[in-house]
Amino acid sequence: MDELELLKKDWKKEDTKRYPKLSYNDIYRMILKKSSSIVKWIFIISILEFVFWIAFSLLMKANGKNENIANIESTTLFIVLSVISYSVLAYFFYKFYMNYKTINSTDNASKLMENILKTRRTVKQYVGFNLAFMVISVVVMLPYVMHHDQHTMSLIENATANGHVFKFYAGLILGVLLVLIVVVAILLLFYYLVYGILLKRLNSNYKELKKLEI
Amino acid sequence: MNKELEHSFVEQLEKHQNIVHKVCRLYTNNQDAHNDLFQEITIQLWRAFPKFRGDAKFSTWMYRVGLNTAITLYRKSKRRVSTQDFDAVQFRIKADEYDDTEEEQLKLLYKAVHQLNDIEKALVFLYLEDKNYKEISETMGISEVNARVKMNRVKNKLRTILNP
Repeated sequence: MDELELLKKDWKKEDTKRYPKLSYNDIYRMILKKSSSIVKWIFIISILEFVFWIAFSLLMKANGKNENIANIESTTLFIVLSVISYSVLAYFFYKFYMNYKTINSTDNASKLMENILKTRRTVKQYVGFNLAFMVISVVVMLPYVMHHDQHTMSLIENATANGHVFKFYAGLILGVLLVLIVVVAILLLFYYLVYGILLKRLNSNYKELKKLEI
Repeated sequence: MNKELEHSFVEQLEKHQNIVHKVCRLYTNNQDAHNDLFQEITIQLWRAFPKFRGDAKFSTWMYRVGLNTAITLYRKSKRRVSTQDFDAVQFRIKADEYDDTEEEQLKLLYKAVHQLNDIEKALVFLYLEDKNYKEISETMGISEVNARVKMNRVKNKLRTILNP
């Protein structure tokens, strides 16, 4: 006899003793409890990411004000960067919300997994954008800061007077580069770990499901 | 209105709860995990219930949400230290109606099914619930041909596990 047929024969023997019988009240109590599904976790982590990057940009702005940089906020470059940053934030937030709304537990298994992965992909792109934007902003703004920040300017003057101007620039650029690399690496590692752990099972199930699809 | 909805849902789930128990049985190894998964499936069913139009049977609708929760949505709880693992026999009825060989064979079969991956378990579950390939392909979101191929592979895999 086919193994599964034997199993089916046994499976079909509906027996009340086989499973615990939950009462009406047991089930009622369950619907009042909170879910701990991965979708909820992705949602929480994504919101935290949005909050983190908004806080980060506000913090940078606040810091910028304290510096002795004359009118940095009214420079065209700064305005352009800010407009890009907020438009992209609005776009990603909208896209994330729409993706999240399409996650439906009554879809077929494959569609449900795809929609969850799509939501995660949007957040991944958002994080990627922020990291790239952070690097580009620093690179673009650095020359401006060097020529407008009084503290930096006096350091450059000193270095020029001592004949170490090349050394100073090289040190500054290398220093900024190093800090950027470390920050980006730490953030990437963090996202990789959080999503890696959270979505490991889903990814492998999705691959398994799609293995034979052409 | 909400109370009515709650009542209607709880009443139907109480009646069809064995479907959820069966999903939990395939995807968990101990009572605590079984209860956790049951709880999460119940929550997901309840959330989806307002959209349940009644054009499908409640039980059919439950298969989909139940399996989706077990395969995709459920985040295994790490809080609990797993208690004693289920023995396949624990599920069995104390019965004289089985002969020993069959009993032993079933025990090994349940054990083998537990070694399958999440997707393979879902296929086995739908097969055991007498779903045809069309229904299996619709529930899993794969083609019917693929469902057949995968099912054959599962059968072969079970054979290999049982007769190494």
